[in-house]
Amino acid sequence: MASTVIGANITIEGEVIADEDVVVQGTIRGKLTAKDGVVVEAGAVVEADVSGGPMTVAGQVTGNVTSTDRVELQSGARVIGNVKAARITIADGAHFKGNVDMDV
Amino acid sequence: MAGATIIGRDTRIRARVTGASDVEVQGHLEGELTVTGEVVIDATATVAADVRGRRIVVRGAVKGDLNAEESIRLEDGARVVGDIRAPRVAIAPGGLVRGYVETQASGAKPAAVKSAASAARHTTHTTPTHAAHASAPKAAPHAPASKPKLAHVATKPAASHRGLTLAGGKAAPKPVVPVLKKGTKAALTKRR
Repeated sequence: MASTVIGANITIEGEVIADEDVVVQGTIRGKLTAKDGVVVEAGAVVEADVSGGPMTVAGQVTGNVTSTDRVELQSGARVIGNVKAARITIADGAHFKGNVDMDV
Repeated sequence: MAGATIIGRDTRIRARVTGASDVEVQGHLEGELTVTGEVVIDATATVAADVRGRRIVVRGAVKGDLNAEESIRLEDGARVVGDIRAPRVAIAPGGLVRGYVETQASGAKPAAVKSAASAARHTTHTTPTHAAHASAPKAAPHAPASKPKLAHVATKPAASHRGLTLAGGKAAPKPVVPVLKKGTKAALTKRR
């Protein structure tokens, strides 16, 4: 259950801070901080530094991604930026360019 | 519900939000909200932004101007500090507003019709009061003739009241809608 949904035809230019889940279907430029899970759905465009809990990316992310939990790049995802998380999975078919930083 | 946007109650956004879908705000929004769909500002929401949409429904707190192409509805619990503009504005009991309210079109055709209608309503409101003061028939051709009559009637009871009654007659109608007048005045002074 997502508490905050950024719809497909919506553009947010600025800062989003959520103490709950965030689902992005539209566009965010700026900064996205969530305490809980973040889902970037297919078709979504995030040009922002993203931080939060468990993350699932199927859309496009340009910016650094930081998670306290896991980051999952699904097939079709396009991520350009550094990813820092406890666990990272990159599915076959996901595009990714950047550094990966896991607790080794 | 693809396309619908919800800003959850534990979410704070400081940004410009634009787009074409419906937006429901339950959390905090600061900046600007401009969409072509419907905007719902829930009871838990605090919005410090100018809001534009097709329809706007407010149940929470807003500091900023509201502009809608179709209608604005302030429901119980709504607190708005700012100006309100839409062809149709409804304020339910329990809705609080401080600002200038205008039920007029922002250019749309149906809105123009509606504003004309509201203008007509205003004139009909004022005419009876004048008639009551003059205690004369509404017949238009007699209007100029009835005015002097009004002055005479006014002078008869007390000469000192004459200026007052004239001013009241001209500036229209203490009794009509004192609240509205007050609001307008306050808004004007605020503007300056």
